[in-house]
Amino acid sequence: MLEALLGYIVEVSRGLGVTLSVFFMTLIISIPLGIVVAICRLSKNKIICNIAKFYIWVLRGTPLMLQIALVFFGLPSIGITFDRLPAAYMACGLNYAAYFGEIFRSGIQSIERGQREAASILGLKTMQFYRFILLPQAIKRTLPAIGNEVIILIKDTSLVYVVAVNDILRVAKSAGGRDANTLLAYVAAGMLYLAMTYVITKLFEVIEKKVQYEE
Amino acid sequence: MLLRAEGLCKAFDNITVLDHITFHVNPGEVVSLVGKSGAGKTTVLRCITGLEKCDKGTIEINGKYICSMEKDTIKRATKEQLYEVRKDLAMVFQNYHLFPHLTVAENVTLALTEVYKMPKAEALQKAKQILTQLDMGDKLDQKPFSLSGGQKQRVAIARSCVTNPRLLCFDEPTAALDSALVLDIIKIIRKLAEEGMGILIISHDEKFVRDVSDRILFMVSGKITQELTAKEYAKYIRD
Repeated sequence: MLEALLGYIVEVSRGLGVTLSVFFMTLIISIPLGIVVAICRLSKNKIICNIAKFYIWVLRGTPLMLQIALVFFGLPSIGITFDRLPAAYMACGLNYAAYFGEIFRSGIQSIERGQREAASILGLKTMQFYRFILLPQAIKRTLPAIGNEVIILIKDTSLVYVVAVNDILRVAKSAGGRDANTLLAYVAAGMLYLAMTYVITKLFEVIEKKVQYEE
Repeated sequence: MLLRAEGLCKAFDNITVLDHITFHVNPGEVVSLVGKSGAGKTTVLRCITGLEKCDKGTIEINGKYICSMEKDTIKRATKEQLYEVRKDLAMVFQNYHLFPHLTVAENVTLALTEVYKMPKAEALQKAKQILTQLDMGDKLDQKPFSLSGGQKQRVAIARSCVTNPRLLCFDEPTAALDSALVLDIIKIIRKLAEEGMGILIISHDEKFVRDVSDRILFMVSGKITQELTAKEYAKYIRD
């Protein structure tokens, strides 16, 4: 049985490339976009702020699977076509940008006004304040929430099976169906997800320790 | 004249907070604004430092304007002009507002390296020098959380003075200090004044104000009602 399980782990690992590509591409798209969403959400311009609020509401308020399906199956009807994987990257990236945007917003707002005032009297310009004062503290304060979101993302990558790309879950499903041994195939897939979340958890522990300071 | 404030008016939601405030601070002079909570002291300080925009009036610091009156219209400094004015002024906040993620040395050198583009080694040397004068030379690598209230204040003073401002403002400098530390802060402020810096303090600590100030301005309901010398003020609080 152990041998069979190991066999499944090796086989299911073939889906690792797709899972990791969706994972990293989502982070690459969503983190910078999340910063933009947070800044727009905090804008004094009501129109920009409301656009950001609407974006967050829609992207957080509808299922990710629906969004992936909509990008891949829905958009071609209005002439916008994506391949399977880019559609997954796009949908996951846009979805996670809404979540990251709100996390970053909370981090930015957690820095008390006095520090901004102290920085401005010292002569720091806005971008210098962001770079030297706000971001280092906001990142530290939001790291646990970011870590949480990144772990959820690892698991959410499995939703891309809806556009029939061979991620871990889809490979496990095919292997289990072929051998009529879905239990072991899914256990193997679960072990791979656990291994990935373990690595991410440890990575965030190290980063949190590195930026830790008392306030 | 280092600081000239003339006819400052400010209202929040139609409630008058400052009502034609006029005063000045000369180089080397320590001026204190005293008054009850809600008298408008903090608002004066916030207007002087450009953190708050006054509705009317003129604020001139070392020949540069934060705002001025042209006929009946107020003309405010642009962002760039405000950066220039702020090179001549500094402020020590009541809660110090040190940057918690930076060490003492980094807190003090930040403006030198990023605003004045001074090389890091030179900035550190200058920070060491000023922190040593304030008995904080052995705390360069510590983070603010590990410092006492008095030590945090010294770092805040060092951070403010390191850029050689002409005018230094203090917001309730003794609020979190015990009496021994108050004596220290008086010595520090007097020394800075002797070196030619103009000092503006807001406080409601009578003894401290008596011992540190050259002139004392009373504020009541947004107006300056009285101006006393240190001697007159000592007599006033004794009576």
